[in-house]
Amino acid sequence: MTRHLLRLIWNRKRQNFLLTLEIFFSFIALFGVVLLAMQFASNSRQPLGYTIDRVWSITVDRKENDEDPVVKSRHRAIYRQLLLALREMPQVEVAAASFTSPYANWSWGGSTRLRGGHQIDHGVNSVTDDFPAVFQMPLVAGRWFSREDDVATWTPVMVNVRMAREIFGDGNAVGQIIPEERDPNDPPPDPTEKPEVRRVVGVFEDFRKDGDLSTPENFLFQRMRLDDGEPKAAVPGRLVVRLAAATPAAFEETLVKRLMAEAPNWSFEVEHEDVMRESKLRQYTMPLAAVGTVAGFLLLMVALGLTGVVWQSVTHRVREFGLRRAKGATIAHIRRQVLVEMVIMTSLAVLVAVVLIAQLPLLPLPHDADIISGSVFVTSLAISAAAVYLLTLLCGWYPSRLATRVQPAEALHYE
Amino acid sequence: MFKHYVLLAAKVLQRRKFFTFISLFGISFTLLVLMVVTAMFDHSFAPMAPESRQDLTLGVHDVVMYGPHSNWRSSGGYKLFNTYARNLPGVEHLSLYTGVRAAHSYIDGQKIESGLKKTDDEFWRILEFNFLEGGPYGTDDVAGARFVAVINQTTRRRFFGERPAIGQIIEADGQRFRVVGVVADVSEMRQVPFADIWVPYTTAKTDAYKSEILGDFHALALARDRASLKQIHDEFNSRLLRVELPKGSTNIVAPFETSLQSVARLLPIADSKSPESQVGRFVAFVAALAALFALLPTVNLVNINISRIMERVSEIGVRKAFGAPTRTLIVQFLVENVLLTLVGGGIGLALTMVVIHALNVSGILQYTQLTMNIRVFVYGVLIALLFGLISGVYPAWRMARLNPVDALKGGVSR
Repeated sequence: MTRHLLRLIWNRKRQNFLLTLEIFFSFIALFGVVLLAMQFASNSRQPLGYTIDRVWSITVDRKENDEDPVVKSRHRAIYRQLLLALREMPQVEVAAASFTSPYANWSWGGSTRLRGGHQIDHGVNSVTDDFPAVFQMPLVAGRWFSREDDVATWTPVMVNVRMAREIFGDGNAVGQIIPEERDPNDPPPDPTEKPEVRRVVGVFEDFRKDGDLSTPENFLFQRMRLDDGEPKAAVPGRLVVRLAAATPAAFEETLVKRLMAEAPNWSFEVEHEDVMRESKLRQYTMPLAAVGTVAGFLLLMVALGLTGVVWQSVTHRVREFGLRRAKGATIAHIRRQVLVEMVIMTSLAVLVAVVLIAQLPLLPLPHDADIISGSVFVTSLAISAAAVYLLTLLCGWYPSRLATRVQPAEALHYE
Repeated sequence: MFKHYVLLAAKVLQRRKFFTFISLFGISFTLLVLMVVTAMFDHSFAPMAPESRQDLTLGVHDVVMYGPHSNWRSSGGYKLFNTYARNLPGVEHLSLYTGVRAAHSYIDGQKIESGLKKTDDEFWRILEFNFLEGGPYGTDDVAGARFVAVINQTTRRRFFGERPAIGQIIEADGQRFRVVGVVADVSEMRQVPFADIWVPYTTAKTDAYKSEILGDFHALALARDRASLKQIHDEFNSRLLRVELPKGSTNIVAPFETSLQSVARLLPIADSKSPESQVGRFVAFVAALAALFALLPTVNLVNINISRIMERVSEIGVRKAFGAPTRTLIVQFLVENVLLTLVGGGIGLALTMVVIHALNVSGILQYTQLTMNIRVFVYGVLIALLFGLISGVYPAWRMARLNPVDALKGGVSR
């Protein structure tokens, strides 16, 4: 039976080829949107690693180039004053300084080359000791940065669970030195400087800076010191504060005036973490909404088009169906024939598309393309395939009823 | 003859209303998406106030400094432009101004965030702002670092209600400025003029900016005539070879370019190491995206067109039997299809206006009033024609190849 249908399809190969092509493109378009949505859905189930209740993030513009260690030292002194001033205010529960904060647009990407040449890309943030307390970050193992790191002979770092697993496997990460090697392509190191040895002092759950919909990545915290223990290290770019409950929004003016009093030449931009979260989320959902709307209309257009084409081809084949009816085929048989033909063409289109899409992971894509997990990929393929089958069957349904409406005698009498 | 085709086409389109509807739906939707994108593009790059002399304006917006192992990308620094971009041959006015930075003000405990841009006085000579009150600040104000500001309409409303603002004091980031002019709002898609508050760059809190090669500054040059444009571009590039670069960097790319060229430079596939125009790649990229998007609607339309032909097999058979040449039939069908696309295009245009209006009202793009002008309309009609021709060629060819004998019998074409 199937062979017979295949022959029928082959007989009308030109028109069927174009139909299959249309189904093929629809599948590809649908897959793109579904993949994006599934990736977001999968991301949002992962732990975030912090909370932002009542946290304000203050971007500090220091208006001065800080290449010079003397300038850096002066700036650190100002930061110490600012933090003191903040902690004195009764409305402030905890305050810290850092390079970046959740949902901020500042990001810092690092890359660590492990012994053996395995390269790990990771996000980096540089934080003072109180930063985890501001964001109430859960600790998984070890400890947070503290004063005892002041005297360490190695550089203390903290990593998230994912990165600990990537470096140390399932073994214990706390207290371990990250086994690094120099990239042979890098310029030779400065002989006057001691090579940096980084030791993990603690493992935190996660720090997904861009929020629920962002793809989980490796993350590393460096310890930021505001004394001059590391004269060359960068000076923070922002302050983060957790406020006491029921602090009014109008406190912002008081806060900025207080900071300006300590550093009149600097400027401070206060942002509320919950507002930052909204606008960051929008950066993820707006493109999905735009692409989704366009894809939705495209599919509606395809659905109408397919219905039209199948309808036309069915009315054109009235004689063929009439002959089959005359030879004893039931109405159900004819309907099934029309639908099975649709299914065969859809299968062909989906098959070709899946084979092509399966090549994607094999292509030399940019490094961060491997973030899409296999299960998301396969689920998206399955959902798109199911949706396309549903679409084509719906498009074939009405014409298939039409095919059987004509009486066999009339149909055979067509000319 | 042509009139006859049109009449025939109208009849045919009325005969199969469902097919006509599907075709029109597909065409108008596809054009709607392409047109909205075109309108945004036009709004960002076509000459319009205050950038009314855009055809004579070049700017340096994106500077990349290369070292052996790293590169730094940013806006230019004041020192770079002040030292090397002054007195370029063919330049009528040269303006140095900063990008927009958020500045905060508090009125009765309420925070107001505004975009603040620091400029020189030449800025007002190159760009033709529409002043509602007062005027720009001048050479003396900039040289004397006077705390004066030009604000836009929205800022005036936020700070002073609907009252006149000239002479009033406005506070931004702890500095107090006296308002000397009020201008109409400028869309945030026009990055060169856009801001809420404009003040002299000499009012900066420190003068650290004066020693920067990379920084927050843009340079804008108004050329004397079209012939000078290339001269300005080439002369500045050759001067850049003499720039004293900071340690660790060997090369700096900072070409004087049109807005479109500088946006093209930001594309991942652009060759940012070359100071030459990247617009070719940009156009190829945008065209490829548009083609990819239009692929599905085109295949859909081709399918429907073929079905439509199959409906009319006997008509074609009769015409062939009476000696109509293939060419005539092809032309007839193409005319029908183009006519259909134009009708779809008309609907698409109407829909575009609705969507553009909705976008303007929604305020997703700050101060942006997208418009359907003649240019966008012409682009739209051209896109529609192209779409109609492409989706009509293959079906027309199929139709012309029908065997008259089969066709007369209403037979199946294989």
